[in-house]
Amino acid sequence: MEHLSLLAFVCASIAFFAVSLVLVRQRRLTARLEEESALLAAKLTARDQALNHLVAVGLPQVMASPGHPPAAPHRGLLHQTDFARDLDAVTGMFASAADGIRSHADKSAKGTLRTMMRTVQSLANEQQVVITEMQRRHDDPAVLEDLLRIDHMNAQLGRRVQATAVLCGSWPGLQRQASSLDDVVRGATSRIRDYLRIKIYAEPNVAVVSRAVEPVVLAVAELLDNAARHSQPSTPVEVNFQTTHNGLAIMIDDAGVAMDAEELQHAAELLDGRRSVDVHRLGDPPQIGFAAIGVLAARYGFRVSVDSRSPYGGVRAVVFLPSELLTAVTREAPPRFEAVPAAPVLTSGGLPKRRRQEAGEAGEPVVSLSAPAEPARPEPSRQKAAGLGAWQRGTRSGRAGSPSASEEKDQR
Amino acid sequence: MRPPERPLVRLHVVTGGRAHPSRNVFDLVTLVAVARPATTGLTPEQRRVMELCRGGALSVAEIAGHLRLPVTITKVLLSDLVDSGHLVVRSPAPSQRPSAGLLQEVLDGLRARL
Repeated sequence: MEHLSLLAFVCASIAFFAVSLVLVRQRRLTARLEEESALLAAKLTARDQALNHLVAVGLPQVMASPGHPPAAPHRGLLHQTDFARDLDAVTGMFASAADGIRSHADKSAKGTLRTMMRTVQSLANEQQVVITEMQRRHDDPAVLEDLLRIDHMNAQLGRRVQATAVLCGSWPGLQRQASSLDDVVRGATSRIRDYLRIKIYAEPNVAVVSRAVEPVVLAVAELLDNAARHSQPSTPVEVNFQTTHNGLAIMIDDAGVAMDAEELQHAAELLDGRRSVDVHRLGDPPQIGFAAIGVLAARYGFRVSVDSRSPYGGVRAVVFLPSELLTAVTREAPPRFEAVPAAPVLTSGGLPKRRRQEAGEAGEPVVSLSAPAEPARPEPSRQKAAGLGAWQRGTRSGRAGSPSASEEKDQR
Repeated sequence: MRPPERPLVRLHVVTGGRAHPSRNVFDLVTLVAVARPATTGLTPEQRRVMELCRGGALSVAEIAGHLRLPVTITKVLLSDLVDSGHLVVRSPAPSQRPSAGLLQEVLDGLRARL
């Protein structure tokens, strides 16, 4: 009996031990499984989040900033996993595809725009030639005043077209002679709406080399227009010049509102001109001014900045022209008046040549219209000739430019 | 001597958009002379007029020819200069007629040309 109970006890103990062992093992197993399952759930969540992030932030960012794929390393559970690498690959492929499409679209848009602008530009140029001829032909102030207005509008039209064409990779067009800086700035003034507000101080005795005239005129015109549009209509826009050891700076000061940091950075990027500007990203209405200036500055080797303040609280735009773009001014010498010969000199056409009376020759003050001249004094014959000679020469030089016009007048 | 086809500085900038002279005393042969040689505050074209006239009286037509500007625009510049006291107008005295000899020379010259 005792043996039996002992055996039963031993069996029970063994069974208990075995069951305990199984239980413990099972428990460990469960714990591990739970742990694994939690890890897997976490990984799944991380993947979901990574995908979500890619769709909501990553890809739009790639779309928004061309050429800058966001470098956001995957941390935590996805660190250096195949999934993370694949995601990066997808982003990379998307970015390069987007860049390809973008540059293709940009190229084709620029091509179309360039062709269109070339047509409009040549029309505006032809129109300017016609207007110039008409301005020389019509003496009636009323007609001329209208012509001046038409010319002004045509000049603005030409500027807009030219800036757009330059932005699309076209040349500014029209090779000009080397022109004095004064003419360059006034030429730029001719092309903006509020030209009467532009005040030019001092006259630097330098000229811009032939190839850079049109680009500098265009750049200065865009800056002047920008300054005039961003300041009160009653305030002037001042232009000053500053000579430096290796060039010359044109400073354009307005009394408008200053630009904030973000605008300044954007403007600096555009004016730098080293990165190609996407024509689809110029805003609405498209702002082509700074972008076109940037293209010109990079191509012709001058610098433009707008990051300083004007003394009037607005923006000071500075165009820096290096010495390579500057040359000496060649001014026409004032006509010399030869001494009066005793015998009448004939022109090549056989007409008596106009002889001019030297002012102050005899030290006499100039007689004004209101002060009666002494009629009794015998006038030298050369003075008599002056009126006729003047008429002859003036008519000739006045009509030299338009022979058809002079014929027309003669017939009337 | 032919003026450039498309001058850089447009005429509206030269006169500020005006084509009506402030005074109506100019015709092609009106002579102007310097009254006050100071050139501060003048536009480049006005300075050039003063430079031209420094040598003696000049006619409107001649000044226009030298500046390569239309006569009407030149008149606007000149009348501004007269208004500001820089120039004075000298019209040829009506009493002084050209001599018969001069007229004969002109006539001969014209005949020779035509």
